[in-house]
Amino acid sequence: MPYVVTSPCIDVKDGACLDECPVDAIYEGARKLYINPNECTECGACASACPIGAIMLDLEVPKPERPFVKTDKEFFSKALPGRDEPLGDPGGAKAAGKIGVDTPFVAEFQAAE
Amino acid sequence: MTSADAGGKQLTAKDFSAGEARWCPGCGDHAILNNMRNLMPTLGIPRENFVVISGIGCSSRLPYYLDTYGMHSIHGRAPSIATGVSINRPDLSVWVVTGDGDALSIGGNHLIHALRRNVNLKILLFNNQIYGLTKGQFSPATKPGTITPSSPFGSLDHSFNPLALALGAEASFVARTVDTDRKHMMEILAAAAAHNGSALVEIRQNCPTFNHGERAVTADTSVPTPADGPIRLEAGSPILFGADSQWAVLRDAETGDLKLGRSTEKGVVVHNPRSTSPTYAYALARIADTEPELAPIGVYRAVERPSFDNQYQDRLADARAGGRGDLQDLLTGNDSWTVPARS
Amino acid sequence: MTTELEQPDPRVRRLKGVVIRFAGDSGDGMQLTGDRFGAQAAEAGNDVATLPDFPAEIRAPAGTVGGVSSYQLHVADHDITTPGDQPDVLVAMNPAALKATLKDLRPGGVLIVDSGAFNVRALEKAGYDSDPLTDGSLSNYILHAVDLTGLAVGATEGLGLKRKDAARTKNMFALGLVSWMFNQPIESTVAYLEKRFAKKPPEILAGNLASLRAGVDYGDTTEAFAVSYEVKPAPLPPGTYRHMRGNRAIAFGLVAAAHQAGMPLFLGAYPITPATDVLHELSKLISHDVRSYQAEDEIAAIGAAIGGAFAGMLAVTVTSGPGMALKSEAIGLAISLELPLVIVNVQRGGPSTGLPTKTEQSDLLQSLYGRHGEAPLPVLAAQSPADCFNAAFEAAQIALERRTPVILLSDSYIANGSEPWKVPDVSELPDLGIEFATEPNGVGKDGKPAFHPYKRDPRTLARPLAIPGTPGLEHRIGGLEKADGSGEISHDADNHDLMVRTRQNKVDGIEVPPLEVDDPSGPPGFGSKLLVIGWGSTYGPIGAACRLVRQQGLAIAQAHLRYLNPLPANLASILAAYDTVLVPEMNLGQLGGLLRMHCQIEPVGYTQTRGLPFRAVELAAVFTRLVNDLEDGAAALSTEDIKAIGGTGKVGRSELGSEKNK
Repeated sequence: MPYVVTSPCIDVKDGACLDECPVDAIYEGARKLYINPNECTECGACASACPIGAIMLDLEVPKPERPFVKTDKEFFSKALPGRDEPLGDPGGAKAAGKIGVDTPFVAEFQAAE
Repeated sequence: MTSADAGGKQLTAKDFSAGEARWCPGCGDHAILNNMRNLMPTLGIPRENFVVISGIGCSSRLPYYLDTYGMHSIHGRAPSIATGVSINRPDLSVWVVTGDGDALSIGGNHLIHALRRNVNLKILLFNNQIYGLTKGQFSPATKPGTITPSSPFGSLDHSFNPLALALGAEASFVARTVDTDRKHMMEILAAAAAHNGSALVEIRQNCPTFNHGERAVTADTSVPTPADGPIRLEAGSPILFGADSQWAVLRDAETGDLKLGRSTEKGVVVHNPRSTSPTYAYALARIADTEPELAPIGVYRAVERPSFDNQYQDRLADARAGGRGDLQDLLTGNDSWTVPARS
Repeated sequence: MTTELEQPDPRVRRLKGVVIRFAGDSGDGMQLTGDRFGAQAAEAGNDVATLPDFPAEIRAPAGTVGGVSSYQLHVADHDITTPGDQPDVLVAMNPAALKATLKDLRPGGVLIVDSGAFNVRALEKAGYDSDPLTDGSLSNYILHAVDLTGLAVGATEGLGLKRKDAARTKNMFALGLVSWMFNQPIESTVAYLEKRFAKKPPEILAGNLASLRAGVDYGDTTEAFAVSYEVKPAPLPPGTYRHMRGNRAIAFGLVAAAHQAGMPLFLGAYPITPATDVLHELSKLISHDVRSYQAEDEIAAIGAAIGGAFAGMLAVTVTSGPGMALKSEAIGLAISLELPLVIVNVQRGGPSTGLPTKTEQSDLLQSLYGRHGEAPLPVLAAQSPADCFNAAFEAAQIALERRTPVILLSDSYIANGSEPWKVPDVSELPDLGIEFATEPNGVGKDGKPAFHPYKRDPRTLARPLAIPGTPGLEHRIGGLEKADGSGEISHDADNHDLMVRTRQNKVDGIEVPPLEVDDPSGPPGFGSKLLVIGWGSTYGPIGAACRLVRQQGLAIAQAHLRYLNPLPANLASILAAYDTVLVPEMNLGQLGGLLRMHCQIEPVGYTQTRGLPFRAVELAAVFTRLVNDLEDGAAALSTEDIKAIGGTGKVGRSELGSEKNK
């Protein structure tokens, strides 16, 4: 039951959550932040830090936002565009640095008007 | 070895999850719980054979969130209750979850005696150096001078060094890990689980609400700084740390004490947690007193010593070797007499 | 011995009963001497009741009055219930023992003193200005001044004993002499000594046996003891009997309960006087799957017991008053967890360290109410040394059946006292086995089968127990309030109220046998106007006193409470049938207060906290006076009246929460 970063984060990337995560499990893509579901300890520090309410427990994600549960998982488990290997569980976002790309779903995401 | 259910299905962290944890956001307890859920299915122990017993405090809520047998008991007494479970049931894997207030203050007596006896308990001491549940008073692990609601002018208490205490109580396995290092904690917990006898693991953690760690920043490069840590202990390896391994734990040739210094100096210590004498592990534990931010993490001491449980069970088995005693014989004894029926 | 009875020896005088006390320095072996004499008498078929009395210090200063250790026995040819009030025979091993105990000896009683111990230094230590053996102060007694020490040393000559060790066998010499006086065979003591000293140098056994036999021979050949006495065997019901002490009976009762439940017995204990003997007894019984564990403190002792109960053992902890106080938080936990647990409190004089080796009944209200929160649990009390077996067995039975901690009260008097115990036939003991849960009994939030630890048996309100190791029934229990049924944590106000009431109802609903009244003059309301009611160890003295009252042709009713919580359902109606209800207690009126609260009656208390049991003659005097007053139409016994008839207790309303003595 990890926390998930949903659509309001796209193109906003406030970053307040990055300092709060005690296990450094939030990774930075090009348009959005991603929480590693294996490294997340479900402590919820990120959710309370997020100024726009973009972060929530996977079970609490509303139906329209469900694809983000899958995309946060795939950000780490599938090879990202332009890469040969999946990111996996690097064990710390700071050491991994900015990833600079998004999952195809996020890269093509269009906010509903 | 991994755990499987009766139908042979591989168990996962999800199978060990019993509800959503209710700690403050950012609390290190979440990380420990998560790691426990991930570790337990990998130990090859059936889920029903885990018993997790806690005392009182934030940490002690943990059993409620693990889908094993568990008991949330009373303040400080978890080691005594866990002892009653463990010595009677060698088939069970018994874990104690406790905090610095629970284990070191109100329950100090039970902790040292469990370690002395070497009861087969895995004791996880969550050390956030504060009383969290009662809203932030100083604990026996709080640094002297700390301002809290019950010490508005700074606490006067000298603090306990939990590892030095455990070593003094003759613990056969003593380790430290931190809430923020998942991989390290998993390794240490697995090592504790594999140890036969008492295993004390101090888990240094953050209390985001009442003891939010502010790390000292210094520009002085002549001494190691917290940024050079953590100091990781690896059995058989020299204890080096810093980005370029420029620092080391050194043995003072004159006093035999351990200190921090440059790795180019003489006397770099090679870590040996199996040293028969506890003196080395004790000296290592004392580094945390002078360099609290650089307290080494890893297994300080892991030695073989007969567990209380094994000896207790062996004695029971020996006594029953010829079958269980006859109750009627016991009650009748050899000094009874018979009053005949009167005719 | 029976054949000798049929052809009486003219030198043998028969007695109905005799009270003997051995008194000496705490290092003189008086407890062993008394214990062996009692065992010999019991084996000879007498009814025996005993009262050991020893100083709180292991070795109080030798030769002082404070260091005197004594052992009193009542040996009779009829069913007796007390160790007797006044000794008929006193054996004093030194001046201090004489000083401390002479006041109790019946005028005209037999006094045997070790004249070898009456030197100037010893007399001074005991506080004598002149030698009582020669100053005429003992003229009221039949005095036998015998150099026990010198004779014992003489008897062991040539066996290679050091002078000090030879002198230490004087207690066996005294035992031999008194055994001769009462025509008791010493064979069982010989066998006992052979076992006891098996691992000591052989001369120790030889010396003790030589002194024992020399004591017998001395009596046989000395003109001074022209007449010896014999107590005929008591007419006990047919069966196998054994000399049984209270603490051992508790241990045996618990072992029998575990056996009948098919569970291992687990004892968590911390040494405390006078409960320690239960720990000692149980520690020996490892071959009966008794697991005893000496913890680091009283709290850890009950903690381990709670852990053992959770793990599927029949769990027990034994202690005394101060230990009970330390355990009280954990007892609250056990009530919340609803786990079976037997808590034995062998009471002693309190508060604090108090009189650790003396008896008292002052923990009744602590047992009933001494916890935080609404924390009800069953409480029962043993009434005599042999009864401790049944009481312990029943305590375990209730604990297992209802899944609750149970407090069993004993006290120092019956813990160390002994009497013949009819050995039960194991095949006739009830089965105490309980079924542990093996299958889910409910449905979880996720819709899957789940174990609900607080889904109760509708009749007993007992919750199901699933022990660790049972697949699929993983669950958590704890001190936080739990939701009825599911056992999830619940802070809901209505649920807490329900759970508090349910725990109370569970204890209230335990079926307790109705209270029985012993009154040959008629049923309640038609016989005696006075009912004497007690609990625990006062059973013996109250019963003996009632018999004395009835011997005078007066009517008196006696009832005794085994169950203090819940109380028998017919209690209030029985008490209401009497003009006066008298409650003798070794406290300031704790049961009296309880009766007033539960039965809306105004009982009269007769209380003392002197560290010793009531004397039957004293109680009989009080009872007689009250019966006579009631016949005269008034029952207004005052403290002055009590003094006038030789009583040492206080009379009046229960002194708790009430006006002071009338």
